[in-house]
Amino acid sequence: MLTLYHWEPNANSGKPMLTLKEKGVAFESHYLDLLNFDQHNPEYLKINPNGTIPALVHDGLMLTESTAIMEYVDEAFPGPSLRPANPEERWRMRWWMRFFDQYFAPSLSMIGWSVFVGPSVRARDPEELKAAIDRIPLKERRIAWSKAIYNTFSKEELAESGRRVAVGTKCLEEALSRRPWVAGSTYSLADINGFNLGYAIPLSRPDLCNDEKTPHIMAWLRKIYARPAAKATWALGRTQMADRVTYLAS
Amino acid sequence: MLELYHWEPNTFSLKPLIALNEKGLEFTSRYVDFLAFEQYGLAGLKDVMEVQHNPEGDGPVLVDRGTAMTESFFISLYLDEAFPEVPLRPADAEGRWGILVWARFCNEVLAPAVSTLGAHKYLAPALKSRDRRAAEAALAKMPTQEQRDGWTAALNDSYSNELIEDSRRKLTLSVKKVEDALANGEWLVGHAYSLADIDLFALLHPAEGLAPDILNATAAPRTMAWLKRIRARPAVKAALAASKTGRPEQCFTPGPEHSRWG
Repeated sequence: MLTLYHWEPNANSGKPMLTLKEKGVAFESHYLDLLNFDQHNPEYLKINPNGTIPALVHDGLMLTESTAIMEYVDEAFPGPSLRPANPEERWRMRWWMRFFDQYFAPSLSMIGWSVFVGPSVRARDPEELKAAIDRIPLKERRIAWSKAIYNTFSKEELAESGRRVAVGTKCLEEALSRRPWVAGSTYSLADINGFNLGYAIPLSRPDLCNDEKTPHIMAWLRKIYARPAAKATWALGRTQMADRVTYLAS
Repeated sequence: MLELYHWEPNTFSLKPLIALNEKGLEFTSRYVDFLAFEQYGLAGLKDVMEVQHNPEGDGPVLVDRGTAMTESFFISLYLDEAFPEVPLRPADAEGRWGILVWARFCNEVLAPAVSTLGAHKYLAPALKSRDRRAAEAALAKMPTQEQRDGWTAALNDSYSNELIEDSRRKLTLSVKKVEDALANGEWLVGHAYSLADIDLFALLHPAEGLAPDILNATAAPRTMAWLKRIRARPAVKAALAASKTGRPEQCFTPGPEHSRWG
């Protein structure tokens, strides 16, 4: 029995979704609406007391941390291997996943929460929002949601995030100009991770990421979106956020 | 032939030194003085992207057949995959997932906390006795803004009370997590010593001297016994013997950044 609790195919939720689709592993999809705070409902907290998504439940074992979940799926299930056989390329796959998860993604998500998540939920009843924040189990997540909802990101913080997105984009373009895939010669979890992180950068930052300035990133995004597993994953999206991905079909 | 560029056997440099010794692998040790900024001038390595953008700021570099690798946990994992004799991970997917989750916690919570406390207590005073102009010249040439910011804070000892308190909170949380995990057995993951133990040991071994009020036999008896068990291992003794200063547990770098999300 395999159940994935996830939101839109985007950022962290999309990582195990695309991995499972690539492996051809059947799973029960349990959609939680992040903007409706479904992940902090008592029912879900019984499954994952930290109230974070995604979470994968495999025969009673509850797994969190999207990047570690991807490695678990590749290790535990049959299907095409999504980690290079060569240990050096595996090292590079992991190095890039850390760069994506801890350098690139926090900057992109700070901007995303400031311009999208905050405004989407701010219109609701302030008392209801306060109660929703108080229900969040992890202190770090409470701080993050408060910042997004009350828009307390400082100008400096947002500018710094913008600078990092530019640095990250430049590094990724350079890496993809040297090798066909992030880890090296084969498609791997690092590409799945990077695609979820970056598929919308050409839309949000067309000044940084476009066919002229970053031709290798653009070709790589299109190459991944052309995969049947990517199409199947993004078909599980329910909002316009996920629909944006279709620009890569052209 | 494996070559390891490392500084004193503490925190990040300690991890691959232990893994190499546990596995009994032959390697060439290249001692680099991180206090003298030698790590920013290594011929053939300083232009590699994964060395320049080292997520640990400053840390060991393993070179195997021409590839330079950074990130102390990933280097140790590389060693375990490339040289599978004397395995340092469980064989099952659940145990391997557990090791990755510990590593993520370590590099996001424990490592920045210990690095900040260590840099404030030992690195900042050590830099004061050195030539400030030489340090500033080295800073100006660092490849990333994050490295410059980290070393500037150490040079000026500009750690705020909030940051020190936040680091102590993160260390307390880490010790509790380790203490809770050890209620189930002698080691952090499964029933055997693994990369998770090496990963956490490298950061908690010096933490005892940084915050004895947080890490002691009353507050964390299981953790203290676990530290003692690991220190008694021949491979760990051999790794610690790579020290040239005789006080490796007082040698710190600015370390990885604290999460910018608070």
